[in-house]
Order: sequence, then C-alpha cells, then structure tokens
Amino acid sequence: MLKVEGLTKYFETPSGRIHSVDGVSFTINKGETLGLVGESGCGKSTTARTIIRLYEPDAGKIIFNGHDITHITQREMLTFRKKIQMIFQDPYASLNPRMTAGEIIREPMTIHKIPKDEHSSRVNHLLKLVGLNSEQAGRYPHEFSGGQRQRIGIARALAAEPELIICDEPVSALDVSIQAQIVNMLEDLQKSLGLTYLFIAHDLSMVKHISTRIAVMYLGSVVEIAQSDELYNRPLHPYTVSLLSSVPIPDPEKATQKHIIPLKGEIPSAINPPSGCKFHTRCPKAKPECRSVSPKLEDKGNGHFCACPFA
Amino acid sequence: MSDEILKVENLSTTFKTSAGEVKAVEKVSFSVRRGEVLGIVGESGSGKTAAMLSVMGLTGENCNVKADSMTFMGENLTPGKIKNLRGDKISMIFQDPMTSLNPVLSAGWQLKEILKQHKWRGNIHERVTEMMTRVGIVPAEERIRHYPHEFSGGQRQRLMIAMSVLCGPELLIADEPTTALDVTVQAQILGLLREIREASGMSMILITHDLGIIAGEADRVIVMYGGHIMEEGTVREIFKSPSHPYTVGLLRSVPKPDKPRERLIPIEGQPPDLLNPPKGCPFVKRCAEAMKICLHNKPEELSLSDTHKYSCWKGMKK
Repeated sequence: MLKVEGLTKYFETPSGRIHSVDGVSFTINKGETLGLVGESGCGKSTTARTIIRLYEPDAGKIIFNGHDITHITQREMLTFRKKIQMIFQDPYASLNPRMTAGEIIREPMTIHKIPKDEHSSRVNHLLKLVGLNSEQAGRYPHEFSGGQRQRIGIARALAAEPELIICDEPVSALDVSIQAQIVNMLEDLQKSLGLTYLFIAHDLSMVKHISTRIAVMYLGSVVEIAQSDELYNRPLHPYTVSLLSSVPIPDPEKATQKHIIPLKGEIPSAINPPSGCKFHTRCPKAKPECRSVSPKLEDKGNGHFCACPFA
Repeated sequence: MSDEILKVENLSTTFKTSAGEVKAVEKVSFSVRRGEVLGIVGESGSGKTAAMLSVMGLTGENCNVKADSMTFMGENLTPGKIKNLRGDKISMIFQDPMTSLNPVLSAGWQLKEILKQHKWRGNIHERVTEMMTRVGIVPAEERIRHYPHEFSGGQRQRLMIAMSVLCGPELLIADEPTTALDVTVQAQILGLLREIREASGMSMILITHDLGIIAGEADRVIVMYGGHIMEEGTVREIFKSPSHPYTVGLLRSVPKPDKPRERLIPIEGQPPDLLNPPKGCPFVKRCAEAMKICLHNKPEELSLSDTHKYSCWKGMKK
C-alpha cells in the first residue's frame, strides 16, 4: 500500500544541516500495522510527516497505492490526504479548544467535500464508533478527559474514510489503564474498517503488542525490520539488542534476572552524524571497517532485514 | 533507633481551587525502612506526588496538609525541621530535568550552592567534582563551568542526581525520574541510582506509573488511586498475588513483551473526579466487582500477611 524508498529530509539550521531522515526505505502492506520505534530525535516523526508531505522530502520516493506522491502539488495531494490520516500524541494540543467535538469531527468532511446532508449522521456514527455518544458532540475539548480527547482525535481521522492512519505516539500521554482502552479500540477499528497503521511510539512493549512488523530507527536510518515476534525473540542489530534489553518487564523475577546491555555515551548529533555505520561510536561489536562502510539493509531470511554485516 | 527511617500516619492533603476543594491525598499511612526502595504506583491524580510534596513541605499556599504524625529518623517532621533536612538528609528529584535546573547559572554554581546552604565542612569544589565524576559527567573540571543547555536530557538528570546526593542523604524521593528519558538512557539512570544506593545504603521512594520499573527496582510497593492507598505489599506479593481489583486491572492492562501477544484487558471508565469523589471506595465507578456497599462506605484495610494489605469490601465479605 505504501512504499518509501530512500526517503531523505534535511533541516537547515544556523549550526548546520540536520540529517533528520537519511535514506529511509520500507513498505507497509494493506491491513497490517508497521511499528516505527527509536529514541527521541531518531527521525521517526519526521519520517511520518514527510510521508504525508507536511514536510517536503529532499530525496527519495513515496509511493501510495501505486501513485508516486513525492512531488505532486499540494492540490493534488488533497485526494491522497483523504486516504492518509494522522492521530497525534497530545490530545490536549491537537484539538482546537474553541470548536466542539462535533465541529472537530465534521471539519475533514467539509474539506474533503462529503455531502453536507450526511454530516450529522456521520458525526453521530463516528462518535459511537469510538465509544462516545452523540450527546457529547456539542461539548468542547476541555470537558473531556485525556482518553476521551484521544477518541475524538481518532473519530476526526476516521471522518475522511482513510485507508492508512499514521498514529504518532497515540497513547504515550495517557494513563496506563486508559492506554489499553485506546489500543484495543485501534485494533477493533483496524479489523472492522480494514485499516492499515503506521504506529510510531517509543514504548517498545506497546509497539510489540500492536505491530505486525517493526522497523527500528537510529539517527535517521532504519537499522532493522522484522516481524514483531521475530524482532523481539531474535534481534540482530546491536542497537536493537541493546534497546530491547533496556525495556523494563513487569515481572519482578524476570526483571532481576534480566541482563541489560548498556549503551555507551550519548546519542551523536544529527548535524555531524558519524561516518560509515552511524552506530559505530556506541556499538559493543564495532570493527575498524564500520567507520568507513555505510551498511545497507540485508535480507537475513524470514523477512528479517538488518543493516549490520556482522549480525 | 528504629529500622523505619520515615513513618507517615494518616496524611491528608487538600488543595483549594476555584472549582472547590480537591482531596488529593486522604488518610495515607506508610513507612520506609533503611536501605529499602519503596515504589509508589498510581496514575495521574492518584496523589502519589502530592503525598511526597506534603512530606517534603513543598506544597503551596493553597494547600492544607494534615497528619497524625510524620517522623524522620525518630524525630517529628515539623515545618522548621523539614526545611533543614531538605536537600541534606532527605532530597528529591523530579521528572523533568529541563525545568529543575536554573538556565542562567552554571552546573557548578548550582551544585556548590547546595553545599554552602547546608554548611558543608569539607572542600566544596572537590566534593562537587567528585560527585559529577561519580554520576558520569566527565571531565568534571571542564563540565563544572557549563550551563544546563549544554547538557543532554540524560546528563541533566545525572546532574539532578548529583545534586540530590551531594550531602549524603538518608532518603531520596525520586518522582518519575526517567519518564522524560529514552529507554536506553532510563536504564543508565536506574543503574546509576542503584549503584549509589548500594554504595551508601540510602533508602529511596520511587514514584512511577511504569510497572516494569517497579518490578525491577522496588522492594515494597504501594498502589494509589484517587488519593488512597489501595494495596501495599512486597514486590512479589503485588505482582504474583495482587488482591485489589484495581491492582489486578492495572497489571492486566499493560502489554507483557516477554509473553505471546494477548488482547489487553483495560480498566473501563474514566479517571476519578477528585472534586466530587465517590463517598465509598474511590475505585467504585470503574470496578467490575463493585457491590452496593462500595458506593457508600469506605473499605477498611485487610491484612493478608505482615507486609501485604489491601482495602476492598470484596475481601471483607469473604
């Protein structure tokens, strides 16, 4: 459904060019959830925003349903935006406080020219779909809890009848018991509406739970992609190994037995990323050639791709 | 001297707001023993931070703190007393290392100030560089002159830790110390706190919403909801035989990365409204096992072992 090839996005700043997204390639198949993980600043959100052309890509290709949408005009993009919607992290900042829930959900229908006489019934239907009721359409965002606001954000994303939804940290701002409500709802909606998700999060346990496949990013590059269980049970890239070993497990016996492989030092600057393999400065298995040779994603079998020749 | 270094009995904290009185903490009792890590779990608004700020005497003007007794190392914690202990024998670190440091003062200045305030007798410069080195901010002689913006998020939290343990505290209260950090940095910071505890025998209260961190770090656990303690026990008791429906629900609602995928079981409903709390059990509106009595009467505490206690009518009926 979505194919991203060599996607690159730079930002120019007074202190130099930030290599935010540096040659990222992956595909998302219809009906699956691709999890995109990595630590702050690794470029996962920028990748998402470049895909829907909120940022103009500097290189690479974005192919959606067979159409190259990399350089089409914003006007042409409108028809594709209807098919690709986004859910944001902060349910407090992503809803206009001066619009009612109903108006927020109706807005995409107006933009995408859905006949006006259908709006009200569709708003009610969408509210029900996300577990709210039609009486709540007249209320303003501040009258809802965080979890309910995220439900409104999801209803708004569904209003345009998208095929692909980019979920950028959709549950990180919510309480633990509410996170499970929202994740279950996203799973149910995926089944009933045949949706495809790009799910971005830093909570690796949650990403593993919801994803079919997972892509791991480090400093603007994808270092590993595999089926979700495969990645957890058999991580290959030294960065993924270290990242997964750091995830706390909610079980006191396993938690004390667990061996954490700590990463040395700090994440390097994206303005002057290390040469060769960007992870070589912190890699416990680095060899001299890692400094000069920039590794490509290699097929290691079973749809497991890893950008490390020594893994 | 008793083994309990901090003992709090029936602490209640209320905040006056324009919308009415918020009962943030209600009749909460707990203690911390020497060298142990007490984990406090709870969601936003459960009162975990408010309880700790009350102990530290850091609540604002609009706040009313009442307690039958609060003692630290056997002495009553009066407002005058806590002021001297704070930053010396009891210290606290917060979630956001970005806002906890003064941006216009160098790291060294801020660290030295603490020692000056508490009338440190040794060489202040030496002590500061020693602690910076210990928390991994090197070379300390150079970094001491740097300003907060010149440190990364993880390094700032390291600075906060250095600050909090400068005077060799007996108790460190860590309020979501790694929530703002990435998971690999989180592992580094939790490891650093463990090292410091092992070297000094310091006790710690660790506040977090992350059950994984609790499982890995805490000796005993308190589970809070709507300003009340719902359950208390050793880390094994809480994870292996949770007894309060809220604890059970909380454990079920998080994904277990080490196990095959199963559908999550959320706790239905919305977080509690602290302005209009239920008369009975604070969890009644979201509890699948709620009975009539839960609506109107607060459950009393039941003991399952010397260490394991919970408050629920379901258990009292048995």
